[in-house]
Amino acid sequence: MGVFCSIVPPHVLDRLARSSDPSVSAAARRTLEHDARQRTRRRLATAIGPSGATAVSARPADQPDRTVYDARHQDTLPGRRLRAEGTPPIADTSANRAYDGLGATFETYLRAYGRHSVDGRGLPLTASVHYQEDYNNAFWNGEQMVFGDGDGRVFLDFTIPVDVIGHELTHGVTQYTANLDYQGQSGALNESVSDVFGSLVKQYSLGQTAAQADWLIGAGLLAPGIHGKALRSMAAPGTAYDDPHLGKDPQPATMDGYVSGSADEGGVHINSGIPNHAFYLVATALGGHAWEQAGQIWYDVLTGGSLRADADFAHFAAATEAAARARYGEGAQLQAVRAAWSTVGVAPAAAPASGLPRQNPGEQTQEA
Amino acid sequence: MRIEVVRSGGFTAVPRQAAVETADHPEGARLAALAEAALASPAAPDAPAAPDGFRYTVTAGGRTLHCAEPHLTPQQRELIHRVLGEGA
Repeated sequence: MGVFCSIVPPHVLDRLARSSDPSVSAAARRTLEHDARQRTRRRLATAIGPSGATAVSARPADQPDRTVYDARHQDTLPGRRLRAEGTPPIADTSANRAYDGLGATFETYLRAYGRHSVDGRGLPLTASVHYQEDYNNAFWNGEQMVFGDGDGRVFLDFTIPVDVIGHELTHGVTQYTANLDYQGQSGALNESVSDVFGSLVKQYSLGQTAAQADWLIGAGLLAPGIHGKALRSMAAPGTAYDDPHLGKDPQPATMDGYVSGSADEGGVHINSGIPNHAFYLVATALGGHAWEQAGQIWYDVLTGGSLRADADFAHFAAATEAAARARYGEGAQLQAVRAAWSTVGVAPAAAPASGLPRQNPGEQTQEA
Repeated sequence: MRIEVVRSGGFTAVPRQAAVETADHPEGARLAALAEAALASPAAPDAPAAPDGFRYTVTAGGRTLHCAEPHLTPQQRELIHRVLGEGA
């Protein structure tokens, strides 16, 4: 069973295991049991030495290299170092959540796709918490993660949802791979890819199947009293929130609701609902763990080198069909991908997207 | 002088907009000076903005500035924070 979970703090799992939601409690119990087995296995490995004991010098480590800093409510990054890799939890819960979330994201990419960190070559993961005051945002600045505490009135601490951390680090992965232009449809794809893998980080961490997952982005981030479940819903775009402080979730699920305009780089956080929903449809049609087949297809497209930086939805759809065929042949996977894009109203481009890839170098060339 | 700040983007993508008239504002002189400084010096206009970094459009005295996180000058950050009443 592909459950990872030693990164999710045991006290959280304990709480989840007592959840009134049977799918949540069952997954958490499985994880706790899995964790216990893993600890046993690690002790055995320590005692008898690594299997196939070979030291490959150029190979990146299978462990993350995390450092969490305190921005001390200023805008200077990274700030004061709070917690380094391998050190125990500290009093600052934001720092611990960031540390755990970086680890959960690293583990998901490594175990599901064999990817070593954001750049595929073991890039150290850096995060700063307590950025500015009452700051309602989290972002990847091209080199590191930045988290605000939220204002406590509308938004809580941005380190709370692990999918937010996975979302932001995936912006880093995209930067090192498909490098999708952050505007218009390619920008909406950039955003969607971050939501997809952000959600997969959460699902992998909890050991959830596509049917068990909540498919929400930012669950747990809205302050008490705010009317909403999360910021985005991949299962039902446009239904995540409806509140006087926030307005109504503006995401469309299909091309009928596509929004144009100049704000938000052409609505990259709005139109991402369309490819988000396509991924959800593929994952739930195939069933099982979403990171295994649906996620693999999307990962192949993101990192495969054929996607143009200015790819639109039609290019991306064609690329997912090509990736599904390349990996799984003319089977259920390809059918699910075709049906999903049809449902959201995207007609795949006639020829697979190719030419002019603007990928950053180094992605596929390690371990030379 | 009328100063308007419009925010888009950010992880939450919740838009925000606010405006002040400096003549009616207790700190009008300070805001007007900040606006002059903010519009005079775009910070790293060619640097790539962070994905999920807030995007701002600041309009003051008929002039318009587009800027994005994390490339804000201290004056831009303070002006946006004061007008919007929220972290910038």
